[in-house]
Parts: sequence; C-alpha cells; structure tokens
Amino acid sequence: MANRRCFQTLTRCLQSIRTLSPISECLAPYTAPALNQTLAATPPNYFFVNKFNVYQRAAVAMRSFCSRHTDSDDDEEEDYETEEEELDEDDDDDYGENEEDSANLSAGEKVKGPTEIGYTVLGPLQKSDRVFKLYEPVFAVVQIGSHQFKVSNGDTIYTERLKHCDVNDKLVLNKVLMLGSQTQTIIGRPILPAAAVHAVVEEHALDAKVIIFKKKRRKNYRRTKGHRQELTKLRITDIQGIEKPENTMPLPPPTKEKEKAEKKVAMEA
Amino acid sequence: MSLRGVWQLKKLIVSFCDWGGSSRGIRAFMESELPAFIEKNPQLEVVTELNRGYHPLLKGFYKNKNERVVCVKNMTPEDVLQCASRLRNSQGRKVLKLKTRHVTKHPSVQGTWSTDLKIAN
Repeated sequence: MANRRCFQTLTRCLQSIRTLSPISECLAPYTAPALNQTLAATPPNYFFVNKFNVYQRAAVAMRSFCSRHTDSDDDEEEDYETEEEELDEDDDDDYGENEEDSANLSAGEKVKGPTEIGYTVLGPLQKSDRVFKLYEPVFAVVQIGSHQFKVSNGDTIYTERLKHCDVNDKLVLNKVLMLGSQTQTIIGRPILPAAAVHAVVEEHALDAKVIIFKKKRRKNYRRTKGHRQELTKLRITDIQGIEKPENTMPLPPPTKEKEKAEKKVAMEA
Repeated sequence: MSLRGVWQLKKLIVSFCDWGGSSRGIRAFMESELPAFIEKNPQLEVVTELNRGYHPLLKGFYKNKNERVVCVKNMTPEDVLQCASRLRNSQGRKVLKLKTRHVTKHPSVQGTWSTDLKIAN
C-alpha cells in the first residue's frame, strides 16, 4: 500500500512539475535530480516519505491538478501493481517446487537443511578409511535436531531420519555442547565452535509398529492407527576438540571456559 | 545398512508372475528402475525369479541369516523401489521396540556418579 501511495505521489509530482511553471522553476533544480535518484535506485519506503515531506507546498498544489491526469496516472499505477503481483506469484511457485523435488535441490539447499539441525554430510565411506578405532575414554554431548546425546567412541545412536545422507556415509556433528575426558572437562556456552564429532550412518530403518488406540466409552467411538517411526542409526567414530590421554593433538587450551568467562566480564564492565 | 562398513544385505530375490495382474507394478519396476538399483549397489546379488500363480515378493537375505519377505502385490513401481531400498538400508535385525536410543559399552568416562561422590574444587 505504501508503495502504491508513493508511486501515486511520484507520478503526480512529475506531472505537475511540467504544468506548474513558477513553482517548477524554483523546485526543478532540487526535485528533478532528487526524483531521478529515487526513481533510479530501489529505495525503501521511508526514503520516499522523507523526500516528499519537504515539498509540502508542491504536494498541496499538485492535488488541485490531479483530476486532469487521472487516466494516465491510473494506467501507470495499474501497470506497476500487476507487475509486482505477477513477480510475487512466480516466486511462490518456484519455492514450492524446490521444496518438493529433493532430486532437483541445489547443493546449497542440501547443505543448509542439515547444518541447521546440527550435522554436515562429508561423503561416502571409502574402503581405505580406517575410521573404526578402539575405545578412547573421551565423551562429548552432541545435539541433533532437538535431541542431545552423551556420546563416546564406538557408541550407537538412533536419531530421527536424517535427510540427504545414504547408508555408509560419513557425517560431522557440529553442535557439540560439552567435551570431557578423564582429566579435563570443556563446557560450551552453549556450543563449542572448535569441536567436531565424526559419525558413520549405519542404517535407515523403521521402528516397531506402535498402535495408537483411541476410545471414548459409551459414545460408540473407537479408532486404531498404526505408526512406524523412521530412524537413522549412527555409529560414533571420532571426537575432536579435546586432548586425549595418549595422543598429542594441536587443540584449543583447556582454559576455554575461563577465557569465555573473562570475555563476559570484560563486556559487562 | 552396514555394520562397521560391511553391507548386511547379501542377496535380493525379486519373484514375480508373468500372467497375474498383481505383478504389474513389479514387472514395470524390473524394466524401469531395477537396472539403476543394481548399478547403485554392486555389493548386492539381485536375482529375478519367475513364480507363476503367486503374488510378487521381494526376499532379502542378510548376513545374520535372517530372511525378510515383503509382498509387493498391486504396488506401483515407485513403491516397489521404496520397499527394495528399505530392505537394502536395514540390518536384518528383528524389528523390536527400542529400549534406549543410545547403545554403549562404556557408559562412564569420568566415573559413575553416586551420592557419596565429592568433587574437589
């Protein structure tokens, strides 16, 4: 609506500037370039409003001549409106199709969905990858979607069906809330940015059938519905971001929580 | 479906009927989508079997000597492909209700908590 009003006032300005000779003489050097700028650029609504508040006299004078140029004004306004509406409809259609066809999703879409939930797909497991190691006494608290798990090397996790990943794919779980070993604990506020947990997809399967039975007694109402939840089984292979007891790794220092606390104090002060 | 990188589904038998109407979907699946499915899964042995007079079946044989039989009568080729993908994606375990969503052999790293535990600051 505001756009329409702005366009109306704009067109009226342009029309009246040509007709009103005395006012146009004094205003032309100011209005023409300003109006050209506003027309050329794609300004937000407030920009229009600011410019036109200044030329109140011109607006008052323009209103008296509005009736003469109604036909041309209306045609121009209608054209602008229809163009805008058509563009909006096309955009909506495109978005709908993109969501439905997973095969036609761009690479960006395939990465964006999973990263919002908390994992990234690295790619299929190669035969040469020695990913399955012995148990290490290190744990991590990881979040996938809305579920959190305390996870260690070699563990198995059942999550909701993860999209865009096949069986035998490597994943990196980015949302790590806490890391711990036998000597250290690193707590994230809320996430640890330098930590990563590697996992491999083992299975995409259906859970056992759950029967949802609804009954209202003495009302002759009884319903039975079967439901099988789609699950993904992940096996955790590696936790990175903490010093493991035997291996020496170039990792962030264990005083991470102290640093964050110092930063917070500095901010508050 | 793979345990530590090893695929669990060894063999898939696609049994169909030449004459029956319930096998229409699976016959169309064998022409249109089965070659692509076989190419995507080189580790899998796929056998087509003619079984006249019976409804069409997909039989999956797993490494834990489990057999899963799925009847695909009167299904569209896309549904048959979905069934075949499900067999290939699963591990052949008996379908039981999950007791926990987190299966581990080493539940504690820093020692199990108890009420007597005192943490030194």
